[in-house]
Amino acid sequence: MTRTRHVNCIIPPHLLDKLLHSDDSDVRKAALDTLLTTTRLRGERSVRATFAGAAAAGNGRRTVFDCRQGRFLPFAVLVRTEEGAESGDSSVNRAFDGLGTTRDFYQKVFQRNSLDGLGMRLDGYVHFGVGYNNAFWDGRQMVFGDGDGRMFTDFTASIDVIAHELTHGVTEFTAGLAYHHQSGALNESISDVFGTLVKQWSANETAETADWLIGADVFTPGIEADALRSLKAPGTAYDSPLLGKDPQPDHMSRFVNLPNTEAGDYGGVHINSGIPNKAFYLTAVGIGGFAWQAPGLIWYESLKASSMETKFQDFADTTYRKAEELFGAGSAEQLAVLAAWQGVGIQISGVPAGVARARSLAASRDGGVGRDDGLAALSKQVGALSAQLRELNEDLTALKAMR
Amino acid sequence: MKVTLARHGGLAAAVHLRRPPTVVDTDALPESAAAELAELVAAASTGAAGHEGPGPGRARDAMSYTVTVEEGGRSTELTQSDTTMSPEFAALLSWLEKHSAQQ
Ligand SMILES: [Zn+2]
Repeated sequence: MTRTRHVNCIIPPHLLDKLLHSDDSDVRKAALDTLLTTTRLRGERSVRATFAGAAAAGNGRRTVFDCRQGRFLPFAVLVRTEEGAESGDSSVNRAFDGLGTTRDFYQKVFQRNSLDGLGMRLDGYVHFGVGYNNAFWDGRQMVFGDGDGRMFTDFTASIDVIAHELTHGVTEFTAGLAYHHQSGALNESISDVFGTLVKQWSANETAETADWLIGADVFTPGIEADALRSLKAPGTAYDSPLLGKDPQPDHMSRFVNLPNTEAGDYGGVHINSGIPNKAFYLTAVGIGGFAWQAPGLIWYESLKASSMETKFQDFADTTYRKAEELFGAGSAEQLAVLAAWQGVGIQISGVPAGVARARSLAASRDGGVGRDDGLAALSKQVGALSAQLRELNEDLTALKAMR
Repeated sequence: MKVTLARHGGLAAAVHLRRPPTVVDTDALPESAAAELAELVAAASTGAAGHEGPGPGRARDAMSYTVTVEEGGRSTELTQSDTTMSPEFAALLSWLEKHSAQQ
């Protein structure tokens, strides 16, 4: 069923818009109530839901709705807004807080105003369906299930899951990575990367101390599983009789070919995302420190420079180029990117394998690309530059003496 | 009549990829339940989904469901998703999920 956001109304649209966008929440509410009682739309929750959301536009204003176990979002009830009090329902509050943390992350770390960069409002729907084992992004808003209580629990429980879904919105507004095969797996990986970065940022964890897990809290305690996925070690998030073994590859040599069908997960978008996920993890520990800083910035700039059909190789090349633009050619950051992709079986285009190996070997001396190597490279460059300046000075002095 | 429900996709797509489908045989059901299921199947077959065509559309991590109905040597398949399913399909899905939870 297709939901419609168009509403027939006898009030002129400009007046409606003005009233609904009033700074005074009482005015908005009164306008809404008046509209609902004076038109034939009275009693339609879908209309109320649409208007209530519309009233909260700008700067990522949050609204949470309760589906009350229904499957159709237009029938959901408004339960929390920026102005309203906390709910007595912890799922509502967790969704609300998760939307806020993700919004703040994009604002403070990347100066991005909500998902579209233009302050798009954030709507979350909780208690979708009965025992629904999932959370998803419907193209406009995010939806959480309660889990069946046997395998899965409430999907609002993991902040990285909330941030994963919202990041699908960011990807749609930037690269628009097509949701199948490699571009789809990259789309999934971007959501895992920024999902886990939001968690690390909110907990102030470094690349070395973070768990790099997605959905560590969505399984019931009885299930033997660490999480849905691991960026640090794809393929090891779970291994149990009930769930089977985590099928994610961590290297191109183990890429899984699946058909572009619903049953084939559109070519394994949730499977092969393990490869770019691992590349990001390797970059983050290679550079060291807070992963949302240099590594996150390189990935964010690369996402913005990507397009619908970007594949792993294209993206790897873009991260290498962005690392150079941001931190300089031969910087520790760029060498970490080079070594990371090499670690998952992808050679950066234009960098001969021999050179890449030598460079990454040099870079990974003493275990990982250290800041020290970058500093050493930098001081070498400064040394060379000083020598050139000295020469130039001598030439100038000589020229002056000749005049 | 044999009705099979397979779940695809979602955030935990890798898990669903390996989970066995839910199978219901009306021969094994009480008469009233069998009649109820037959009615839901008939309604779901005619209820039109607001589908955007094949593929996920703009939805990400939404789940889709394939219901296969086998009867008298004939097999029909219905696939609909979280974001596009008809109310009739949703009613059939709820019944099957409830049934599988009781197993
Ligand atoms: Zn996803």
